[in-house]
Amino acid sequence: MFFWPNLRRRLALLHTAVILAFLLAPLVIMVPISLTSGTMLTLPVPGWSLQWYEVIFTDSRWTVALINSLIVGVAATAIATALGTLAAIGLTWGRFPGQQTMLAIISLPLVLPIVILGVACFSFYASVGLIGSRLSLILAHAGLAAPVVVTTVMASLKGFDRNLMRAGASLGAGPFLCFRRILVPLVAPGIMTGALIAFLVSFDEVVIASFITTAEQRTLPRQIFSGVRESISPAIAAAAIVLVVISGVLLALTSIVQRRARLQRGTAR
Amino acid sequence: MTTSTRPQTAIDRAPGNWRPAFSRLLANRDLRLFLLVLPLLAFVVVTVVVPVAQFLYRAVDNDLLAENLPLTAASLASWAPDQGVPGEASFRALAHDIHNAREAGTLGQVAQALNQQITGVRNSFIKAALLVDEPDGVTPEELMQAIPALGETPLWALLQSAGSRWTDFYLLQSIDLERNAGGEIINVSADRAIFREIIWRTVVISVNVTLICILLSLPVAHVLANARAPWSNLLLALVLFPLWTSLLVRTVSWIIILQGEGPVNATLLFLGIVDEPLRLVYTRGSLYIAMVQVLLPLMILSILSVLLKLPKELLRAATSLGANWWQGYWRVLLPLLSPGILTGSAIVFVFALGYYITPTLIGGPRDQMLSSYVAQFTNKTLNWGLAGALAVQLMALLLIAGLGWAAFRKLQGARR
Repeated sequence: MFFWPNLRRRLALLHTAVILAFLLAPLVIMVPISLTSGTMLTLPVPGWSLQWYEVIFTDSRWTVALINSLIVGVAATAIATALGTLAAIGLTWGRFPGQQTMLAIISLPLVLPIVILGVACFSFYASVGLIGSRLSLILAHAGLAAPVVVTTVMASLKGFDRNLMRAGASLGAGPFLCFRRILVPLVAPGIMTGALIAFLVSFDEVVIASFITTAEQRTLPRQIFSGVRESISPAIAAAAIVLVVISGVLLALTSIVQRRARLQRGTAR
Repeated sequence: MTTSTRPQTAIDRAPGNWRPAFSRLLANRDLRLFLLVLPLLAFVVVTVVVPVAQFLYRAVDNDLLAENLPLTAASLASWAPDQGVPGEASFRALAHDIHNAREAGTLGQVAQALNQQITGVRNSFIKAALLVDEPDGVTPEELMQAIPALGETPLWALLQSAGSRWTDFYLLQSIDLERNAGGEIINVSADRAIFREIIWRTVVISVNVTLICILLSLPVAHVLANARAPWSNLLLALVLFPLWTSLLVRTVSWIIILQGEGPVNATLLFLGIVDEPLRLVYTRGSLYIAMVQVLLPLMILSILSVLLKLPKELLRAATSLGANWWQGYWRVLLPLLSPGILTGSAIVFVFALGYYITPTLIGGPRDQMLSSYVAQFTNKTLNWGLAGALAVQLMALLLIAGLGWAAFRKLQGARR
């Protein structure tokens, strides 16, 4: 017999399956296209080949873009993580006037429409003579990624027992030693997670890059973007897969870091 | 959360522990913690806040004209458009200003800026520059021959506006308004009115994307909340995965999927549902598909985070008290879920308002949102004033959305 609650459950399951397919379809579809032996972005593919991956890793336009992406990503992450971690500590533990406003200012890049930031960066770095340099993109990306680090580190600081710092101080350790030997090791998973996400933010960013870089400093997303507009070739799909694989590896790393941190905390108790 | 006074340590109380003034200042714990925030705060102010403020200021910035046309503006100080074309003195002042601007090398920029407001005067001003070697010898007739627009009042009104360091021209233009000859604010003629439609379109697309996301998310969130251990993690990972993959990649994928030779059209043709490929990409529909696909995980997560905190027996309790399933859901569960729906909506709506990459790549010309025009007026026509004004409109929409969200939150808090 027809049983209503059961039907409802099945409909919800079916709906979820359809939605998951919808969410994943654009990622799945890139795999066969990147492996095509043809020259068109069409399905079904005429045959299989690794030629487009060869293009990505040998054609200088793509290799330069990949290297630029890595340099900009690593440098922006370093700045964002260093400044973001310090700010997160100050914002979590401090009590000073204007604290909420400061957090709001630091979080601004998260809600700001990216085009406004892109145009603003273009005009700003042009006026200080940094346009078309890798440094301008690194600084812009660091500003974009810093709020992510702040949020992540602030969250992991909530679970940190501050008596540990007091204990360190009472045993004669200065603030810097306490920071290095007590705080950093315990909050490391949060900092790592923040850094990885910061890298992803920079690694995926295309709008600011398209406003302030020239051909020499173009990043991987920027190269894909101009590829879509200028010459549609399956190399875009191969580059996209490379982008997704790197993101996926970093994401897996993040969850491993977090799981290990949980286990460590478990054994410490 | 934390106490504001630090318990004194043995070191603090050690006898003879003299600290210079600066160190004593640093002994204030909150000040030390503030100094930790300072580097990032300064960094964000320099690389984000200042550039954005400078860009938004361009919407009202009239410095270029004010600095290059001071004599003309001064000569027009007591002039009003209903007096008709001004006298010879103003022509001579203009000849001097053009001469000075040419010598300073800024005439091209000035002509460009004037051209943003009165189309076609750029070339006239460049032409006039050849006449003004001897500014005092130029007759009004000669100048008017080079710049025919000087025979009418609108250009003089524009030159008069150089007397102020600010202009409201671009802000008015960005909402299809202008000043008439008498200085009153009026609607621009219908054939030039484009921006209200663009702003409205941006809002409509964002609202629709938000609503679609809410409707699609609710059942998924319930399935995720009720799934058992290994499955729930897998499902959550599948929902999260797209969130961490490039937005650009996902948009390009939709172009491939929906294009004329793409798999969707191939399937429709194969099944005989259509005779020729449908035009799916570069339409409003394809824009909605791509935007919802990108923003849906955020809504699912927001709703799920609230749903997981609610007891699972709520619906059963409601039905045991005589409500049918629908009543139970609508009257009991949905109100409790509303904070999650609201937060998710705020995030999705704010992100959607600022969308640029996706509409640019997958939307048609009539599906472009505010961001695309900000970029276009910067890149193609170099009309910084209008780009800045449209950016101001976009920020205003964000502010309204933010205030609306805060008001809703307050209302919800008050009800409880």
